Amino acid sequence: MYKLIFLLGLLISNLLYAGAGDEEPNYTAIIMFILFVGVTLFITYWASKKTHTAKSFYTAGGNITGLQNGLAISGDFMSAASFLGISGLVYLSGFDGLIYSIGFLVGWPIILLLIAEPLRNLGKYSFSDVVSFRLKQKPIRILAACGSLSTVILYLIAQMVGAGKLIEILFGLPYYSAVMIVGGLMISYVTFGGMLATTWVQIIKAVLLLFGATLMALLVLSQFEFNFNQLFSEAVNIHSKGEYIMAPGGLISDPVSAISLGLALMFGTAGLPHILMRFFTVPDAVQARKSVVYATGFIGYFYILTFIIGFGAIVLVSNNPEYLNNSGALIGNNNMAAIHLSHAVGGDILLGFISAVAFATILAVVSGLTLAGASAISHDLYANAFIKGQNNEKIEMKVSKLATIFLGVLAVFLGILFEEQNVAFMVGLAFAIAATTNFPILILSIYWKNLTTRGAVIGGSAGLFIAIFLVILGPVVWVDIFGNNEAIFPYKYPALFSMIVTFVGIWFFSKTDKSKNSINEKKLFESQYFRSQTGVGIDKPNAY
Amino acid sequence: MQTRNTKEIYQQLKKARIKILIPLILLTITSYFFFIWIIAFNPIFFGILIFDTNISIGIFLGFLLILLIFLITLIYVYLANKILEPLINKIQTNV
Repeated sequence: MYKLIFLLGLLISNLLYAGAGDEEPNYTAIIMFILFVGVTLFITYWASKKTHTAKSFYTAGGNITGLQNGLAISGDFMSAASFLGISGLVYLSGFDGLIYSIGFLVGWPIILLLIAEPLRNLGKYSFSDVVSFRLKQKPIRILAACGSLSTVILYLIAQMVGAGKLIEILFGLPYYSAVMIVGGLMISYVTFGGMLATTWVQIIKAVLLLFGATLMALLVLSQFEFNFNQLFSEAVNIHSKGEYIMAPGGLISDPVSAISLGLALMFGTAGLPHILMRFFTVPDAVQARKSVVYATGFIGYFYILTFIIGFGAIVLVSNNPEYLNNSGALIGNNNMAAIHLSHAVGGDILLGFISAVAFATILAVVSGLTLAGASAISHDLYANAFIKGQNNEKIEMKVSKLATIFLGVLAVFLGILFEEQNVAFMVGLAFAIAATTNFPILILSIYWKNLTTRGAVIGGSAGLFIAIFLVILGPVVWVDIFGNNEAIFPYKYPALFSMIVTFVGIWFFSKTDKSKNSINEKKLFESQYFRSQTGVGIDKPNAY
Repeated sequence: MQTRNTKEIYQQLKKARIKILIPLILLTITSYFFFIWIIAFNPIFFGILIFDTNISIGIFLGFLLILLIFLITLIYVYLANKILEPLINKIQTNV
């Protein structure tokens, strides 16, 4: 607790110091933010008293309801990157913002129909519990942990760099101290409060963000007599691309990229470890189903709001000199469209509110990511791959807390290291890896009888390497970052190719696997399938 | 572990689940890839304005797709709670 108070003090002094800069500080933002941090640290303190066992640390005791979990899941999805990034993309090119929104959303029916219930019925703390249910623990756990950790770390870097830049602009803090504040708070939420604190931080932030975005969309529409027609026609008149903002632009230009991006978004969602982990926080398959419906509803609604916000920014921000720099571009960058719009429609108070919510969003999302990463280290690598079975829960908890601190420090370090880099490709790569490694081994372990350890390990790791390799050789890294003239691999999105490699690899090396071990694994499928469908034999939630 | 009765109900459950899953999965995948396909091959079609409004076909269908995705999850949960859950409950009490 003292550490928390110390941290809060450090934060306030930092913010006040920031306020002493040349610009008038936005007191609404600072007060709102301190309030948010105060409340969430109090929740962390409350949660820390209930977080004594591994089960409560990883899954909040399995007592979260469908509605709460739906809000928390949507919170994980409504990151600052998607709130500011998608509204910024709409602001820049109109329709194209919708391609990403729909891609992120369409993964949800897949999760609901194919994964949510078996996941809840077979797993305890992480999705690798499911994959290793009948396969050999050690190699499968290591593979799944590699998939999880690379997804989590790439995502963390992207969030950290985005966070540092955003806080730099919003609060006037230096980049490195912004990144350190985020890292420090996230470590305290997760190490002290585990999944219970992380979930409630996410729920509070999701409610705040939905409220803020709804308010902004309503204020925008009120300026157009609540008539979409009028909003769109004024946007077309003002935007430099004119009527082209109503149609697909340059985001996807060839069919291979279209399918590849589509696959990565659709199946990547179903392989994100911090999302999959949330299905263990509900008591049973019924609540797991319910949480997906709530999450899909909230996320879909939120994407419609970001679309209205983006178009609102085109009309209300793009030709207001108050928000433009000398060369006529938005102050900050296009991702600041929503922030400037909040000032345009609601003055300093709404600007302060939205800025604080954006900061809160970053904190909540990085906490969820860190917890998923920490569980991959402590539950998969430490407890099940290396000390196998002779597990002591107390020690596993200690390892997970150390892993949290390690990941937090690593995230701060990488955040500072990548400050000047273009990190936009990292989220894309994270989705590609999730779709290429995590999703295939998960779905095949649930539904394909003939999957063997050998097939999963060879196919899954081949896909993982190919995905990373193709991104490095592709236009984003090879040309934009390394400065070469032409990309060796011509497509931005590797998922189509890497997923084929994974599935063919898994199929071939499972089919040709005649070992004793593999025969046993196939035998175990029937009873695993029975449990995945009926939930017979799953753990009861903790009673408080 | 499984009595004869349980086995029968389990078979029923598997059949019922497949009947619900297949159309919903096909609907999800085809509608999404149809959308992406037009973006790749015929973006101009999506730019056409609907009647005398300023709303383009692409934006209209995009919003419709968001609604459809939500409806698919809603339909599945409705059917699962109504058809699958009673079977699952029977199996759970039997075992």
